[in-house]
Amino acid sequence: MSNFDMSNLILDISDLNIGFSTYGQYKQVLHDVSLQVGDGERVALIGQSGSGKTVTMRAIIGTLPVPPAKITSGSILYRDTELLTLNKRDRNKLKGTGISIILQDPLLSFNPVLTIERQMRDVIRYADVRLGRKRSASEHQSIMQSTLRKVQLADTDRILKAYPMQLSGGMRQRVLIALSLLNNPKLLIADEPGTALDVTTQQEILTLLNTLVADEGLSLLLITHNLGVVRETADRVYVMEQGHIVEHGTLEQVFATPAHEYTRRLMDSVPPLYGKRVRTVTNEHDVQSAIQIDNLSKVFTRKTGLLRMQRVNNIAVNQTTLDIHHGDIFGIAGESGSGKTTLARMLLGLYEPSDGTISFNGDSVQALAGSEAFRRKIQIVYQNPGSSLNPKRTVAQQLSVPMIFSGERKTAVASRVKELLSMVELPESYASMYPHELSGGQKQRVAIARALSVKPEILVLDEPTSALDVLIQNTVIELLLRLRKEFNLTYIFISHDLSLMRNFCNRVAIMFRGSICEQGATESIFSNPQHAYTRALLSSIPVISDEEATQKPTVTAAEKAAVLATSTAVNQ
Amino acid sequence: MIWYLARRAFSLLLVFLGLAILIFVIARIVPGDPARIALGPLATANQVAEMRTEMGLDLPFVQQLWNYLSGLARGDLGKSLLTSRDVMSDIRHALPATFELVLFTIILQIALSIPLGVLAAVYRDTWVDNVTRIISLIGVVTPGFVLAIILQLIASYHLTFFPITGRLDTALNFKADTTGLLLIDSILAGRWDVWTDALRHLLLPSLALAAAGVGQVMRITRSSMIEVANRDFIEASRAYGIPERVITFRYMLRLACVAPLTILGLEFASLIGNAFIVEFVFGWPGIASYGVRTILHKDLNAVIGVVLVSGVFFVVMNLFIDVLLGIIDPRHRMREASNT
Repeated sequence: MSNFDMSNLILDISDLNIGFSTYGQYKQVLHDVSLQVGDGERVALIGQSGSGKTVTMRAIIGTLPVPPAKITSGSILYRDTELLTLNKRDRNKLKGTGISIILQDPLLSFNPVLTIERQMRDVIRYADVRLGRKRSASEHQSIMQSTLRKVQLADTDRILKAYPMQLSGGMRQRVLIALSLLNNPKLLIADEPGTALDVTTQQEILTLLNTLVADEGLSLLLITHNLGVVRETADRVYVMEQGHIVEHGTLEQVFATPAHEYTRRLMDSVPPLYGKRVRTVTNEHDVQSAIQIDNLSKVFTRKTGLLRMQRVNNIAVNQTTLDIHHGDIFGIAGESGSGKTTLARMLLGLYEPSDGTISFNGDSVQALAGSEAFRRKIQIVYQNPGSSLNPKRTVAQQLSVPMIFSGERKTAVASRVKELLSMVELPESYASMYPHELSGGQKQRVAIARALSVKPEILVLDEPTSALDVLIQNTVIELLLRLRKEFNLTYIFISHDLSLMRNFCNRVAIMFRGSICEQGATESIFSNPQHAYTRALLSSIPVISDEEATQKPTVTAAEKAAVLATSTAVNQ
Repeated sequence: MIWYLARRAFSLLLVFLGLAILIFVIARIVPGDPARIALGPLATANQVAEMRTEMGLDLPFVQQLWNYLSGLARGDLGKSLLTSRDVMSDIRHALPATFELVLFTIILQIALSIPLGVLAAVYRDTWVDNVTRIISLIGVVTPGFVLAIILQLIASYHLTFFPITGRLDTALNFKADTTGLLLIDSILAGRWDVWTDALRHLLLPSLALAAAGVGQVMRITRSSMIEVANRDFIEASRAYGIPERVITFRYMLRLACVAPLTILGLEFASLIGNAFIVEFVFGWPGIASYGVRTILHKDLNAVIGVVLVSGVFFVVMNLFIDVLLGIIDPRHRMREASNT
């Protein structure tokens, strides 16, 4: 056991029971939750969406709305203070000064209309008011400056003057951490830190968190669903399932020998990057070419200035050449802004290429686009089924739209809907349901069925599982593999999740600033990456076992700096 | 910010030019010969022809348009057939009263609808919310003139709290010369008796005029406050211990007032339309009576003038709101500056 000492707890939750009453119905969300954080300890609370981890977090920081929430029994001790019975004034005094929080989303967690300076100053100033402290504006200023330097942001003056949207994702995450540190808290709660960021940036943020906890003597409670992140930032872990703590122990114990069945399932569902569990997908079909992309570029032009005369060019895709074979699961990997989505849109004929050609066995996409034949050729599954499905239409209606636009007869459509539902392993009765009645995984199945309704040869999968929990993600991946086999499909899989890509694609291309920096068979790219960017990317992926960690390519700081813009510089 | 203002002002100019041309074309398309109307049915064909030459109606269309636009640039809108005075001086005479009424109505709308909307959002699903809902419903469903008559009947006629018609008690013997707005000129002149009397005259018509907008904007304020309340940064602010009143009034309201202000700007068009009716009910010496008379008499120069003034009113009001939104939400300003 690390530095866990029962006698020196900073947070002690015992037998906490919380429920919500909505429309007269009472539903218990937390069942006898007990959790301890020792002084200077890093603890992770692991759980999928809906497991109750966010409710636990809110109960600790005091933002749980009561009612509708109701705390029926239990206690939360901070040091020796009972938070649940503490009067409001003393409770508020602790906010930000005793317990502080780093929120999840590096954009939405900021007030978009106030400068960073104003937001930071408010946090300090109102803490002074609560504690009856008097400090001058210049003292506040120097606290802001030093806290920003603490999170390794260099250009503090410019950051303070900026609005949140003017900073890059990584910088915003750093400023969020700085916000939580302004009043020198003792316990830091981090809600999914860095998971909304690209892996290389995420890596930097996790390293920063670890440094801060060590240097400032903080305790950390990490709330996350990402086991890879947990392995890099926690000493002890708690696993939560449907409001119950099902397992807890040191990181080594839980990760090496998970005792509870749920923990084991969770561990198994994380796609491995290296090792025995890796599945290598092959293309058993012919290697006949399906899509030829030749020297493809896309330049977005923006007109600026008073009379809109100046032009600013932004090269999203730069002279890309690819050959995708029939039966491939072709992975296009890249971080946000690398041009992978632009490439996909051009494949679908949604964007006109600025230069170069895309052809499907000799027929150029420009000639095909808009025709019925083209719709039967290529279809897309979007990232978030919550927004890609029309909430006002039943499943059957959603599925029949593409068929009707491809000239299918009405009578054929009804029977095809049944067929499609059974293809994606949903019961026929779901045809009359609305999207809000379905779970995330089921919605994505409907989205897949919709794409398949016109019997396309090629499916573009744009991050099809990134909005789903890892357990659900696996079932969707299995479904996609089965469908590919049954219907002879070709997939173009766009993702930033390289671990998943390792186990799902037979060939991959890595995109970097609009160009493809490396492509080839998945196995060889992962075992022997050539390009510095690929190596940096692979080395940043959080994995869940030491075995995998040792097989990741090692990248020196100098190598990394050569290909990655660090998140500490101001984005202009 | 300066660029932003310059760009908005530039687009304002274009809108104004387009508006001027459009009204002119419409005025020339409406059936009926202005010269014949001006002279009446007894005039001979010769007299009409002479009048046409005098009014410039026999010139080619483009030439007429040019004369009109260059006149406009000099501030000359031509002569009114009805009053035989310059349209410009007629409007200058009637405009301040309407301007005061409309301006006061807008202030009343903002002062009533936004606080009530905030209140409804903060005390969501309680009796406070329900009461504001009823107020808003009444405001939205009651036509302005009905409310005007009811208010006049109850508050002025039966209870005699307020004067029934007019802008100012003639016994006070005050003339608004500086700005034309009684509320301001009376302060400048140090005449508080005039000020209170003007306010008493103003209150009922502007209340009748404001009601519909208040009802609508209140509901929009409520729903955007609730929308903003669910954003992550509000929870973050609570967790950092920012006081609830600061969160509500400085953080939430600032973001939440974008939609209501936009709606207020758009609602302004119907406000001007309603002002015509309400001015009639309260005998308000504004541009409405002038406008209605000139329309009925096909006094084209005057109609063009009235429509232009209303249009400018609307465009300037929306420019003002745009600038306000730019101050409230920097993203608005920056988006504008960087692309589109």
